[in-house]
Amino acid sequence: MGVRAGATVLPGHQITVDEQRRLSVDDLLPSKIMHPGDAEDAGRGLRLCDLTPAAVVVWGGGTQMRLGAPPRRYDIAFSTERMTRLLEYEPADLTCRVEAGMRLSDLQAALGAQGQRLPLDPPHPERATVGGMVAANTNGLGRARYGTVRDWVIGIAVAYPSGKVARAGGKVVKNVAGYDLMKLHIGALGTLGVVAEVNLKVQAIPESEATLLGHFETATPAVAAGLLLARSYLAPAAATVLDRRALWECGLTADWRWTLALKLEGYAREVDAARDQAVGAIRDAGGRVEGADLPATFWDAVRDWSAPDGDVVLLRAIAPIAAIPTLSGAIPSEASVIIQPAAGVVDLRVAPSSAAPTLQRVRSLAGDEGQVVVASAPAAVKSSLDVWGPPPPGFPIMRALKQALDPNGILNPGRFVGGI
Amino acid sequence: MLARLRDVVGERYAFADPYEMRLYQYDASPETALPEIVVIPGTSEEVARVVKICTDASVPVTARSGASSLAGGTVPVEGGVVITFARMDRILEIDTENLRAVVQPGVVNLALSQALKPLGYYYAPDPSSQGACTIGGNVATNAGGPHTLIYGVTVNHVTGLEVALPSGELVQVGGRKSAEAIGYDLTGLLVGSEGTMALVTRIWVKIQPLPPVQKTLMAVYPDVATASNAVSAIVRTGILPAAIEMMDKLSIQAIEAASHAGYPLDAGAVLLLEVDGIPEVAQELGERMAKVCRDNGASEVRIARDEQERQALWKGRKGAFSAMGRLSSDFYVMDGVVPRTKLPETLAKIDAISERTGFKICNVFHAGDGNLHPLVLFDAFQPGQYEAVLAIGDEILKLCAQAGGSVTGEHGIGLEKRENIRYVFSDDDLEVMDRVRRVFDPHILMNPGKIFPGNGLQPSAVRYPPGYSRRQAVAGGEDLWV
Ligand SMILES: Cc1cc2nc3c(=O)[nH]c(=O)nc-3n(C[C@H](O)[C@H](O)[C@H](O)COP(=O)(O)OP(=O)(O)OC[C@H]3O[C@@H](n4cnc5c(N)ncnc54)[C@H](O)[C@@H]3O)c2cc1C
Ligand SMILES: Cc1cc2nc3c(=O)[nH]c(=O)nc-3n(C[C@H](O)[C@H](O)[C@H](O)COP(=O)(O)OP(=O)(O)OC[C@H]3O[C@@H](n4cnc5c(N)ncnc54)[C@H](O)[C@@H]3O)c2cc1C
Repeated sequence: MGVRAGATVLPGHQITVDEQRRLSVDDLLPSKIMHPGDAEDAGRGLRLCDLTPAAVVVWGGGTQMRLGAPPRRYDIAFSTERMTRLLEYEPADLTCRVEAGMRLSDLQAALGAQGQRLPLDPPHPERATVGGMVAANTNGLGRARYGTVRDWVIGIAVAYPSGKVARAGGKVVKNVAGYDLMKLHIGALGTLGVVAEVNLKVQAIPESEATLLGHFETATPAVAAGLLLARSYLAPAAATVLDRRALWECGLTADWRWTLALKLEGYAREVDAARDQAVGAIRDAGGRVEGADLPATFWDAVRDWSAPDGDVVLLRAIAPIAAIPTLSGAIPSEASVIIQPAAGVVDLRVAPSSAAPTLQRVRSLAGDEGQVVVASAPAAVKSSLDVWGPPPPGFPIMRALKQALDPNGILNPGRFVGGI
Repeated sequence: MLARLRDVVGERYAFADPYEMRLYQYDASPETALPEIVVIPGTSEEVARVVKICTDASVPVTARSGASSLAGGTVPVEGGVVITFARMDRILEIDTENLRAVVQPGVVNLALSQALKPLGYYYAPDPSSQGACTIGGNVATNAGGPHTLIYGVTVNHVTGLEVALPSGELVQVGGRKSAEAIGYDLTGLLVGSEGTMALVTRIWVKIQPLPPVQKTLMAVYPDVATASNAVSAIVRTGILPAAIEMMDKLSIQAIEAASHAGYPLDAGAVLLLEVDGIPEVAQELGERMAKVCRDNGASEVRIARDEQERQALWKGRKGAFSAMGRLSSDFYVMDGVVPRTKLPETLAKIDAISERTGFKICNVFHAGDGNLHPLVLFDAFQPGQYEAVLAIGDEILKLCAQAGGSVTGEHGIGLEKRENIRYVFSDDDLEVMDRVRRVFDPHILMNPGKIFPGNGLQPSAVRYPPGYSRRQAVAGGEDLWV
């Protein structure tokens, strides 16, 4: 790539120093900002960026900006903050259409008024946007039972650098017309286009809910009990194993080293039966059951734990279930950990100083089928870490897809896997 | 060419005999076209090598598995090589620990669930053709089924794929054990791509525990409008049944004539509902559902008391497709989707089309997710009837699109609907899809003439063969249902 002409006038609006700081990514500052009002507007804005060409970092709620490698360049902060409308919602169809900048908590409030919800619970819903959730593929604790973002998005409108806004999918829950381009944008971190609108399936809020804790001295039986339950017909809505430190970080204390926290949801009698089953499984595995009242904020704290601020590094391993006991045995003593056994997800919070060696060790233990990502880290630490690890199989296709949809490489350059 | 293909798969498994080619010219759709060569590879590597030979020679490749496509997906409209997956029909691994199974594309859908049943598990997507269609075909079309209402369609159950690319490379994409994988979700993109990007040679699927109890209800309504409003009311209660199927008056008459399932002949419409759960919950939900049905205009609600009664209720629904033969020698199966709340008005409009054109149209469909299957009855021997029926199909799809729905809920675009796709997508939308396709297949050799409008042959070149009866083309006949 040639030298970028200093004289080129960047498109977008002037930005204040405060805003520049707020919109920094890995210590890089944007020169200008764009905040389109709707999908077509986003297309026009992107086209201008593409003509320049100016490097764009898309901003939703900003809760995921510590994910990904540092951008290679950063000229324009492209914000969805004005695209916050709930465009359509028909409760009897269990579907809705929203603009990408809508906050998750605002969406959930609108759905909740009709007794419905989106069963995805990414961290910090009061800040996180629907577009960001899609782009970052952030899935909460319910992933083993309710699936992930890809299971709930039924349609999408995306603004591309060409300036065009193209749709895929639709507004109905069952639809196989055309390619499923929704899948391409989920988890793409905004490297293929700016998600402008999202069509979602929703569900009724379960009739009943309960929480149960089981305490253990070692991780293996806690994981095993969690797995056993997750594989049963009455699978919990969330089954997470927390070490003592993580439990404390989520606002609870325990004398035991490991805790299996279960969230049970469903029809009232189902939850009763699931509770009996869970009590049995915990006792059979040698654990101690605690059903005492928990603070209402406990699950919110567990949810938000995986999106830390400040100096903390979050490593996320996704590994075959069989590898999880080995992984949990290799955790450095100063780290804290939350495991979602049925999803094969192990989240580790480590201090910046031990991030590099822990990353290396966890990568080797996760095996060929495992993947370990630096999900969040301060810029200074990130630059010394291989954030994504080796490119996945099929990477040449991914690069070619990037080239086809963003030929000038203006979208989030360098932040994604393999330098995309 | 034939010699080179035989070098890869062996003498027996690559052939070009004109008589044999005729066996591979059709699927369960009315369209036909002859391949030039048919290849039956035995391994993933063989598939990849066959694809490479074809693309190097610029010869089109069309995949064929169970050949139950209702959209002409397997019809090789531009000739070339048809690759069939008949020999790649093994279940490679069942891993109850990770709730996964690994299968070859030629595994018949039902065979997988049958293999899982003794272990207490099953594979959820259950297309009505599950005795004939394969997991490979299901992946290519993103197939649905009655129970995908609650459990989701094929893409929700596939976590990884091994595919042969047009370049001849064999790559494995996606999280094999987990649904979350680093990088773009190529698995999700490839599911439903109808063999136009790559050939699927191995599939990682999720499996799940069998429900302890299933309760099936039949609710009888005076007309389809009341029944469709009841569907919306049910969905709104917060109880999402595992399946909600609807049959209209004409279908009920056909079914009763064929199998005496016990549906009341004077009913205007029947809903079949199923809930599953632990015994006490299934019982309770069944009763609650029955009440909602009654409160919303059902004249009668019958809950199956035991498995035998349950099977009897389903038998009528499952036999609906073959029962149509009682009413007409030929019929054209449509596949459209509308938002559930638009069912009443859409069905009324379809009824009006039937009145106006004089063709009888039955409705037997997945009401719970708004997935319509109007069946237009006709006689292929009468000149002009087939063309008239296609025009009706076109009009119905337009209706669905205008109602905020889609031109296909599960059968795919294939050959049949490549012009209708314009009702739901703009040129800009299609242009992006085309760009994505060309990343995989720059020279458009993978199943050419499908999905996209305007390329390949003209619709007029596709002829409905005289005397052709759709029912004859479908393997298994009696057991299949739409
Ligand atoms: C380290 C870390 C780990 C996390 N792990 C998890 C987890 O495991 N599970 C979980 O549920 N949640 C997780 N989260 C939470 C998640 O980040 C947020 O809750 C939310 O999903 C992101 O929404 P946002 O609006 O804040 O996105 P942002 O942070 O603003 O954006 C996220 C990414 O998407 C891009 N983007 C934003 N909007 C668009 C758009 N409209 N179109 C295209 N691209 C766009 C951005 O450029 C950025 O790359 C994590 C957060 C962090 C920081
Ligand atoms: C009576 C009847 C009832 C039906 N009911 C349903 C239903 O309820 N739900 C539903 O979704 N469908 C239904 N269908 C349609 C059909 O069964 C599905 O589309 C099914 O998924 C096709 O599977 P198949 O193995 O027969 O594939 P085929 O018909 O052989 O192929 C279908 C498409 O997939 C491509 N393909 C096949 N194998 C591969 C591969 N290995 N790699 C890449 N591409 C490949 C083909 O080229 C073609 O485009 C029904 C059909 C009939 C006849």
